[in-house]
Amino acid sequence: MLEVKNLKASIGGKEILTGLNLSVKAGEVHAIMGPNGSGKSTLAQVIAGHADYEVTSGAVEFLGKDLLDLDPEERAREGIFLGFQYPVEIPGVNNAYLLKAAVNAKRKHHGMDEIDAFEFLKLAREKMTMLGMDPVFLNRGVNEGFSGGEKKRNEILQMAMLEPSLAILDETDSGLDIDALKAVANGVNSLRDPERAIVLVTHYQRLLDYIEPDYVHVLSGGQIIRSGDKSLALELEDRGYEWVVEAASA
Amino acid sequence: MSTDPNNLESLVNRRYEHGFVTDIEADSLPPGLDEGIVRAISAIKKEPEFMLEWRLKAYRHWLTMQEPEWAHVHYPQINYQDISYFSAPKSDSDRPKSLDEVDPKLLETYDKLGIPLHERARLAGVAVDAVFDSVSVATTFKEKLNDAGVIFCPFSEAVIKHPELIKKYLGSVVPHRDNFFAALNSAVFSDGSFVYIPKGVRCPMELSTYFRINAANTGQFERTLIIADEGSYVSYLEGCTAPMRDENQLHAAVVELVAMKDAEIKYSTVQNWYPGDEDGKGGIYNFVTKRGDCRGDNSKISWTQVETGSAITWKYPSCILRGENSVGEFYSVAVTNNMQQADTGTKMIHIGKNSSSTIVSKGISAGRAQQSYRGLVRVMPQAQGARNHTQCDSLLIGKECGAHTFPYMEVKNPSAKVEHEATTSRISENQLFYCRQRGISEEDAVNMIVNGFCKEVFKELPMEFAVEAQALLNVSLEGAVG
Amino acid sequence: MSATAINQDMLLAVVEAMPGDKLAEARRAAAFRFAELGFPTVGQEDWKYTNLSVAAELGNEWLDAYVANGGQESDSRTGNLIAAVQNRIDAYWIILRDGFVDSNLPDVDGIRVSRIAEQGHRPLEGADAMSVFNTALLRDGLYVRAEPGAVPDKPIGILIIDNPENAMSQTRVMIDSGENSHLRIVECCLSSEAGRQFTNSIFEADLADGATLDHVRIQNRDEAHVSVNKLSAKLRRDSNFNHNSFDLGGALTRNDVNAEITGEGASVNLNGLYLAAGDQHIDNHTSIVHGVGPSTSEEEYRGILSGRSRCVFNGKVIVSPGADGTDSRQSNHNLLLSDRAEIDTKPELEIYADDVKCAHGATVGQLDETALFYLRTRGLGLDHARRIITRAFAAGTLSTLAVAECHDYLADVLDQRLANLIDAKQ
Repeated sequence: MLEVKNLKASIGGKEILTGLNLSVKAGEVHAIMGPNGSGKSTLAQVIAGHADYEVTSGAVEFLGKDLLDLDPEERAREGIFLGFQYPVEIPGVNNAYLLKAAVNAKRKHHGMDEIDAFEFLKLAREKMTMLGMDPVFLNRGVNEGFSGGEKKRNEILQMAMLEPSLAILDETDSGLDIDALKAVANGVNSLRDPERAIVLVTHYQRLLDYIEPDYVHVLSGGQIIRSGDKSLALELEDRGYEWVVEAASA
Repeated sequence: MSTDPNNLESLVNRRYEHGFVTDIEADSLPPGLDEGIVRAISAIKKEPEFMLEWRLKAYRHWLTMQEPEWAHVHYPQINYQDISYFSAPKSDSDRPKSLDEVDPKLLETYDKLGIPLHERARLAGVAVDAVFDSVSVATTFKEKLNDAGVIFCPFSEAVIKHPELIKKYLGSVVPHRDNFFAALNSAVFSDGSFVYIPKGVRCPMELSTYFRINAANTGQFERTLIIADEGSYVSYLEGCTAPMRDENQLHAAVVELVAMKDAEIKYSTVQNWYPGDEDGKGGIYNFVTKRGDCRGDNSKISWTQVETGSAITWKYPSCILRGENSVGEFYSVAVTNNMQQADTGTKMIHIGKNSSSTIVSKGISAGRAQQSYRGLVRVMPQAQGARNHTQCDSLLIGKECGAHTFPYMEVKNPSAKVEHEATTSRISENQLFYCRQRGISEEDAVNMIVNGFCKEVFKELPMEFAVEAQALLNVSLEGAVG
Repeated sequence: MSATAINQDMLLAVVEAMPGDKLAEARRAAAFRFAELGFPTVGQEDWKYTNLSVAAELGNEWLDAYVANGGQESDSRTGNLIAAVQNRIDAYWIILRDGFVDSNLPDVDGIRVSRIAEQGHRPLEGADAMSVFNTALLRDGLYVRAEPGAVPDKPIGILIIDNPENAMSQTRVMIDSGENSHLRIVECCLSSEAGRQFTNSIFEADLADGATLDHVRIQNRDEAHVSVNKLSAKLRRDSNFNHNSFDLGGALTRNDVNAEITGEGASVNLNGLYLAAGDQHIDNHTSIVHGVGPSTSEEEYRGILSGRSRCVFNGKVIVSPGADGTDSRQSNHNLLLSDRAEIDTKPELEIYADDVKCAHGATVGQLDETALFYLRTRGLGLDHARRIITRAFAAGTLSTLAVAECHDYLADVLDQRLANLIDAKQ
């Protein structure tokens, strides 16, 4: 589904990704871990198409299409979802309005009719119940005055509504208490599907107790320096990142 | 920069949609202004003597006045002798009795504007008094209003049919010597709307006027007078458009509102005069005096405006809160793009006990535009318990625009509570990226964010107008984000 | 108009008659320039609420007296007055009497203190009418320079004592803060005795890269005193200017505080408190120009008004084109205690850049009802509760005091003054 080949990307002239390779297939859950500043968030932002990052070489293919040619909104409509580490507040813009506009933008892109207003509300309420969100959030401004946990739940709500083929969740677990973490994990697990891939970007192993990954990758210095299964995450938890970095440079 | 500025530029630079010129023979006076012109205007309109005298008084006073320079706007000197002070569609000599008699070309014009007088007015239950250049062309729904005892007619008709009301109220809120542009208007105003709502009557429909400047080199000087007698209610809508022209055109209107005891007037404006091109060529100079007098206890006047047009706007819809417990409101969205300049705001003069006022001003500045909020809240010594809250927010789009705030608060009563808050912000790259990651195009994202910013004001507009205002906002801001 | 005019012929005559010292040339040029400007009038937007007629009258009186007595200034006995301040605030004290340096200059490590009249240094600045007027009649003043890196152990105290026997005085203090220096200044403005007098003062500071200047001004002059005070600060890269003003006395006081940020990373803090009773008129005009960004400014002015007093606040923040990263906050809060007091406030913003965060606000109102109620449920009488909350409102400005050494003195002075205000509400 997603093929990242020798990807190099920089911001403000500083190279962050230095030749990264990653292959994700439908139905898989990948966890990308690594120390601070290793390039985890950069990878997420580059795949989503943030213009601050300049791709200097390499390729990213998504479902056989060259992703780097597309605008951020086109990537989203093709089925890529980024759960933001810091979800953005948009005062005055109704949460439901943004959600509906996003759903319809995608449907239109795929030649479908706009979603029926009643259908939309019903669906949104369903998903909110699953995530333990109060329906009043639908009528609040996008992330406006939300707590950290509410913002992250709101991200998962959007993901659930948009049903992406590939979801990249950037530090979705940061700043969550245990109840919020469980609710978020629950939401993500309910979206696991043979047709869908999920990439978890995280600093800690904690999230992986609740969302079990098929593969774990260690990102350091802008490259994936080691890949393994779930046990790698536990080992990292135990021994920290240093040994992997040393082993890689040896 | 996560967003390509050029791309955003093209978003803002959508073309003015209403820039066509209707080819109707106009009956104009030659350019220039002297007592003869004032007398001619009065004569053409077959006005009674008192009106002519009032005009002449205003004209003579105007001669002694200086054009104001304090506003934060810049424009070349206006030569008042180059302007033609009267232009009526030729069919004026034979005024249409109903819509069927209205020049079809005129109706076509309204169609292009998206205001098909016929269907839309009827469907929407809105009575429309359309002022084309300077003369009221047609008023619909007269009968239904008649039944309710509501008078809604062109100003010139009211002068002849209801001289006692005109004599009593004209100039009672905005005196002829009030300011330079009001004095000029008092001398040469050509037409406008007149509304009288009798005691205890709730006007059965929203009243609406469309103003449009058409002929070249003409000034438009309409005059609106609305009187809501005791316990009555009226909601009045005003829309404005003008064709694209290279020269600047002058628009100097006066609006007077009088709300008696327990009466309420809601006055909404969507102003979309031609703003000039991206280099600032052409466009309307919009120098307007709007003032409401809450004369009776428990009266209320509410101004809502969406200002997207005009090269220069100079406008401060105000309330004199004379009655006890009277309420004044001002909700404003002003958009300036390209080379537009706007200096707009309100005055709330608290005289009555426990009078209260609310000001919500949302300014959006893009391109090389300059926008100022200028407001005065004055609490007189006798205004025991007066309250004001002002919220004044600016949104800046681009590096070359400006947003300024000049709020005056003058408080002479210790029991008054006056609060002013203001913020300035811009559309952040993060907000745009976030929306785009959810599959929403950049243009839609900008519109969405701007509409969110203006929400508090839009919810004050009658439903229909709100939709139109939103659309207008999107058009005005095309290409504005950088 | 004639009421507010300075007698120009007399001014020129006096300037010609003044001694041929180092300032003579600057005085003459300024006198000619002033002839074109004259005193500001209420027709000018910035002087809309403040009429300088009385100041001009006093100015003319002084000019007449100068011609009559050849420039001899009256002296006064102020020993107790001086001790009352110097014993309470630990600082290196300098006395300025009617604009003349009248004490030994302190010897502080890294600090150079001198008289303006004695030595040449940077030119006298200020192109506005009141600055030009000050220059035209300036005979002495104080110049303080902090050498790069200098951090004196105690603040410099400047005791400005004016004597109403002289109708007018021109005061000027010039500060140069060298790179990374940290200078603290306390200014106390007092009258030596009761009576009418006009003081036209200028305080100008130039802050080099990384310099910090903390400045507290306590104005507690006689109730008939008239003053126009201009303070300007120019800030270069990473410099900080922290200013507190306390206006307690004076019949008419006009303060102009202008801070100009010309270097990245600079920050300005302005805090003011004005307490007005009787017929007092206190007008604070502040202007902060963010010439470049990132830079920050914080401003809070508070006022309590009683009697027939009138106060004016006009706070202007200007963000110049390209000053991205500006972060500015401004607020003005007022309490009106009497039916006849008046506050005119205008927090202005002029913004010409888009990547900025600016917020400003102003309020006029009364004591917090909930707080009053709370205190009353705790058994305090209404009057007592009012006093406590009014004091708390004023004391808020002490929490941001730039020079800690004057805290106790100020707290006492404020207390006394507030008691007067509350007792004599009308």
